[in-house]
Amino acid sequence: MLRRLLANPIVSRLISSVGTLAGVAVVVFIMLRAIPGNQITASYGIEAAALTDEQRAALLSYYGLDKPLGVQFFSWIGNIFRGNLGVSARAHQSVASLTAQSLPVTLELAIWTIILSLAIGVPLGMLSASKPDSPRDAVGQAVGLAGLSIPAFLLGTALVTVLSKYLGFNPNGAGYAYFTKNPLLNMQQMLLPSLVLAFGIAAPIMRTTRTAILEVRSQDFIRTAKAKGISTRRLQIRHVLGNALVPIVTMTGLQFGYLLGGAVVVEQIFSLPGIGRQVLVGIQQKEYAVVQSTVLLIALGFVIVNLLTDLAYRRIDPRVRAQ
Amino acid sequence: MTEIASAPVMGAAPGRTGDRLRLLWHSKTGRVGLALVLILALLALVSALGILPNDPITQNAAIRLQGPSAAHWFGTDQFGRDVFARVAAGVLNSTRIALVAVGFATVVGTLSGVAAGFYRGFSDVAVSGVTNVLFAFPPLLLALALASVFTRTWFTVAVAIAIVYTPIFIRVTRGPVLSLREVEFVSAATATGQRRSAIMFRHVLPNITSILIVQITLSLSWAILTEASLSFLGLSTPPPAPSLGSMIYEARTLVYVAPWTMIAPGVLIVAYVVGLNLLGDGLRDSLDPKNRGTV
Amino acid sequence: MVARKRTSRGIALAAFLSAIALIATGCTPATTPETTPPTQTADTNKTLVIGVTSEADTLFPWKATQFQAVNVMQTMYGTLTEFDQNLAVVPGLAQSWDVSDDGLTVTMHLRQGVKFHDGSTFDSTDAKFSLDAIKNPDTAAVAAASLASVDSVDAPDANTIVLHLSSPDAGLLANLAVINMAMLSSDDTEASLSVTPNGTGPFQFVSSVPNQSLTLKRNDSYWGDPVPLAGVEFRVIPDETSIVAAMQSGNVQMAVFDDPLVAQTAASSTISIAKTALLSYHVLQLNARKGPLQDVNVRLAIQCAIDRQQVLDTAAMGEGEVTGPITSPAYRSDPSSRPCPTRDLTKAADYLSKSAYPSGVTLDTIVSQGEYATSVNEAQNLKAQLADANITLNLEILESGAYVDRWMAGDFDAAVALNGGRPDPDGMYSRYFTSTGNLNMVAGYSSDTLDALFAQGRQTSDPAKRGPIYTQISNELENQAAWIWLFTGYTYTATSSNVQGFIPMANQSMQYLRSTQIS
Repeated sequence: MLRRLLANPIVSRLISSVGTLAGVAVVVFIMLRAIPGNQITASYGIEAAALTDEQRAALLSYYGLDKPLGVQFFSWIGNIFRGNLGVSARAHQSVASLTAQSLPVTLELAIWTIILSLAIGVPLGMLSASKPDSPRDAVGQAVGLAGLSIPAFLLGTALVTVLSKYLGFNPNGAGYAYFTKNPLLNMQQMLLPSLVLAFGIAAPIMRTTRTAILEVRSQDFIRTAKAKGISTRRLQIRHVLGNALVPIVTMTGLQFGYLLGGAVVVEQIFSLPGIGRQVLVGIQQKEYAVVQSTVLLIALGFVIVNLLTDLAYRRIDPRVRAQ
Repeated sequence: MTEIASAPVMGAAPGRTGDRLRLLWHSKTGRVGLALVLILALLALVSALGILPNDPITQNAAIRLQGPSAAHWFGTDQFGRDVFARVAAGVLNSTRIALVAVGFATVVGTLSGVAAGFYRGFSDVAVSGVTNVLFAFPPLLLALALASVFTRTWFTVAVAIAIVYTPIFIRVTRGPVLSLREVEFVSAATATGQRRSAIMFRHVLPNITSILIVQITLSLSWAILTEASLSFLGLSTPPPAPSLGSMIYEARTLVYVAPWTMIAPGVLIVAYVVGLNLLGDGLRDSLDPKNRGTV
Repeated sequence: MVARKRTSRGIALAAFLSAIALIATGCTPATTPETTPPTQTADTNKTLVIGVTSEADTLFPWKATQFQAVNVMQTMYGTLTEFDQNLAVVPGLAQSWDVSDDGLTVTMHLRQGVKFHDGSTFDSTDAKFSLDAIKNPDTAAVAAASLASVDSVDAPDANTIVLHLSSPDAGLLANLAVINMAMLSSDDTEASLSVTPNGTGPFQFVSSVPNQSLTLKRNDSYWGDPVPLAGVEFRVIPDETSIVAAMQSGNVQMAVFDDPLVAQTAASSTISIAKTALLSYHVLQLNARKGPLQDVNVRLAIQCAIDRQQVLDTAAMGEGEVTGPITSPAYRSDPSSRPCPTRDLTKAADYLSKSAYPSGVTLDTIVSQGEYATSVNEAQNLKAQLADANITLNLEILESGAYVDRWMAGDFDAAVALNGGRPDPDGMYSRYFTSTGNLNMVAGYSSDTLDALFAQGRQTSDPAKRGPIYTQISNELENQAAWIWLFTGYTYTATSSNVQGFIPMANQSMQYLRSTQIS
């Protein structure tokens, strides 16, 4: 019975996901402590050198750094199971409440980015695939290539500088507005950063779309449909795109997972208080609890997205499914 | 047996090398990509041999921030260093970081990926476990930690990038190997009692080379972009050694005063990445058996 | 060292007749006192938005060392003494004070009717509580060492405190003006203040959103002149280029930059830039207790092999002034009175040949990246110049945490640093160069001569007699080439044209937000 349960692919994937998270927890814990400096040097800077031994001892116990590493690790893990992600000594808030403020920002950014990159990538891929090796294919491919080749930090900096200097347009200069408080300003603030990210992500989506469509179109059932006299337009949308959708969705899922932790440079340039910056500031301040728990949450998001993608993959590839 | 083994699966297209190159040359994208990459490789070579008229590191305060001229083709920077010599050395630096990083990732990633996909069992659990952890980890934190723990040189940067890319190679190879394992000729080879390692190297590995070649070319371009992004966060090759990314980073504040300090490395980095992407596309097309009839 | 914008610049209590240079029209001239009648009518309902790259890392004044934290604290809290715009010590929460003839008793008369933001009254109980707590090691207060000469504090009545000293301390009154000496209410604790600051300053805390903003409102019962601004918002915009963009689009009305090129990109018809000379100094710290640098001739060879103007030109676009050790305005060192005031490679070669290392030396040099704009550039130029004198700098570019670790441990031959200056030369250097100073290990040099000179300076209160003592100290430091002093830089305050009355200070304090107004 147990053996049957373990053999179930979903159950085994869940078990391996838990293993992944445990691995991330160990690695982030060790890695943070391998980085030189601790919360005392981060907050006192070079004045830390002027602290007396008594002062230093008082601070070590204040930050909980005087306990053995094993105790620190297991008390962190234990607290997580009790729903306590830790506290930021700097912000005097729990990591849970910090994340409740930053996660929606990054999630919203990721959603807009995916919408925009699908809106750019899929039509462009269809355009390219509609007549391979034609000028329109070349245009589509060129846009895709530009997306792959121009670094986001270059594009982001250029957009902010040029638009505000010459057009005075810079919604991100105003304090961040949550969607629930000021939806109009919020959407303006999301526009440029999601565009910059989408430009990069549209490229792989465009390529996947193009390849998938060319692949599907060469298959028998499309030829049959054509022979049956189904209109080209309907064929294109219903049958070709419909069947090419699976790899596109898979690719989109992967990119979404990446965006959860990978948007930090864009968050930085456009002053979005997202989860990537929460990690970055946490590292700078050596706030171990903040970084550990936030990285674990990002990894959790990534694992969930991956799990869904993997399940989709199992459905697609009959050779794996047959096992 | 050998006949079965050479049957093309997964677009292996084991045609002769000459045919492949001809195909590559016939695809326009491949031609442009190859040309761009060769030009930049030549620039790196010239810099490596040290036969440029100016040194990339020697400072000359008397000629600070001069525009492009016959003596200094791309102008000079705030230390009076020749920007052309610096971008050439930067291309060399980006190239060696990308080559070492992708080389490491290819060897380690492919072997682990093939082993995991082919043997399954414990090796798959172990390899996939490590891969999953690395994938789920935000790459920035990984890079920051590695950059802080070790004394930074171009080599440690390359290793940091390699660690980020190894899981990609594992993923890319494990999937196809998993599929290949169930294909008739491999099952047949297994049935006839060949040793498993022999099957892996003789039959499985050659069948994924085309996937690998394309992946390597594309990874080179990503590695170059990653190095640039690390530089933007101040985490890459330490000065005064020039790197394209850190040149852009340093030029950010100079852009209104001396735009050439930003334009030269910016254009070269984009050209390099475009070239590698085009080359990757050309290779993919020419290695794809579906396209073989078109030449 | 305090090179760090995050740390010590804030601590640098400087005092300086600030040379406020005007590089754009509309800057506040240095001579404008804060009481100048406004040329345009002030709008007392306006909130000033200041763009900052990072948020305050603590809201507790006794532990604030980061630049941004110090700035925020300065607007919310009060100190017994204060600096005026010329960095002279003036009354703050203490209205006046008397020092006994032997210099061992300081009696301070507190200002009456001062209220904390929560409505409670400030009196001698609070002042005694604050000074005692700062001295207590368990508090881990940054300024504890500044009260080393204070044996005990008495509060004879509600409006008087008496400080009993173990020895005369000419620097004490200046030390009390630092925000790390903020007066807190005896009813408050670190935990409560970290969430809800409660001070006597011109602005009071409203709210703080992590990674986004910190908002203050006017304190209507402030004891000084009425505050024109309705409030101040410190808005976090992590990228300096994006702060410039936010100023150009009018979202932000004020920002402080340390990079001249960034400031230059911000200047326009609606944004003016005020340039202020700073007390903090750029220096190549040498560790004279280790390796080849124990040999004074090697140190002097380095001293002679460097063209300081060239470092300034290449690393900071010439924006600064070559300096000697002391930058405190009243005691400023003469940079031309050092061995080799200009670069002299022949002399450098002479010194090196006299040393134990005639064929040259290699020095492990630590450089921090990201703490201030010019560090890596300075290191590159120093390396290039010293190469001409057979001295090889082996540069180690480190992330700030790694740098501070190595710096604290004295684990370097040389260190490229930006250290905070102070208005008083004793406060500035005794902690580094006396054998009992708490940063002497890091400074890597001390001598009986210096110990005696510093002790003499501390016990002399007459400025006319103190001057020559500190000139001797300065010369001794240069003749021994304890460190290689390079230059001082500027800070750039960018303001929109409708903002008036802000006076930038050489110690980078933003205390004059209290007189700033928007028209």
